[in-house]
Amino acid sequence: MHIPDFAIPIYQGVIYWAIALVFVFLAVRWAKNDMNEEKLPLVAVLAAAIFAIQSFNLPVSMGTSGHLVGGALAAIVLGSPFAAVFILTMVLIVQGVLFGDGGITTMGANIINMGVIGGFVGFYSYKGIKAATKSMPVSAFIAAWLACLIPALACAVEMFIAGTFPLMEGLVAMGIYHAIIGVIEGVITVAAIYLIMNVRPDLVDSGVKPLKKVSAV
Amino acid sequence: MMDNRTFLIVGLVISLLVGSIAVFMASSDPDGLESTALVIQGDKTLTGAAPEDAKIHEVTEGRFSYESPMPDYALGEEMGSAGGLVAILAGTILAFLVVLGLVYVMKAPGKSV
Repeated sequence: MHIPDFAIPIYQGVIYWAIALVFVFLAVRWAKNDMNEEKLPLVAVLAAAIFAIQSFNLPVSMGTSGHLVGGALAAIVLGSPFAAVFILTMVLIVQGVLFGDGGITTMGANIINMGVIGGFVGFYSYKGIKAATKSMPVSAFIAAWLACLIPALACAVEMFIAGTFPLMEGLVAMGIYHAIIGVIEGVITVAAIYLIMNVRPDLVDSGVKPLKKVSAV
Repeated sequence: MMDNRTFLIVGLVISLLVGSIAVFMASSDPDGLESTALVIQGDKTLTGAAPEDAKIHEVTEGRFSYESPMPDYALGEEMGSAGGLVAILAGTILAFLVVLGLVYVMKAPGKSV
């Protein structure tokens, strides 16, 4: 769902950039002040991993492919939606500048969709569902699914405002395709969390760790 | 437990492997956004296959355009998969180094960005 330069008028791109920069600023502040120094290796590895998985277009039938976003994964394991904003912004800069994947004027919109919306939806839906279900895999799966679907719908709305897509057709097509991509996103997110928890449980945010077994209730 | 250095190396290697496999295995079907664009311009049905030669109509008038050094994660037709591999591996390593360097500088004591 990387919006290319031609899809959005420049002035609208500037508006999205202005909004995105507020979140990027907050994300940099998060990295400076709130991020535990010991998480440094995880942040770097997630940046590489998210770049790699985003380059992997998986077939989702209906003549369409899709790649994972990774916003929910970053926000969940690092315990902050700003982690997703931080990492996704860096990944989007590399993708846009070096590979022309996502535009320059539209990078703000892409940061908003995948980093901000993906991160916040992923993080807070994970927290909420986790509180209700007490299950990491169930919560992470649903959170990642939503963090793939909702940015896609936001993208459809932006494309409508740009005059590129009609609203309903855009929402339906983007919604259907990303609802399917989101299932893969959910599975991979849960698998990645398990993998990281296995090798470095200390790096994963405490909210993710399974509840310690209590012998007597 | 894995130490930081091992975690970094293993994490980067897994990412590079995923990226390398992507070069050969990734679906060439249009992605969700491109597919939606094709549906809207009438070149594809919602659930149907994407036509091979379908092109997305690009409005270029009054829009910004930028020529990236490695468009579409490739180094041009003649380089083929090898070019794709170089592009993806370079991108993965760059994303890794940019974030590692940035966080390192931000976290270094006595420094501020």
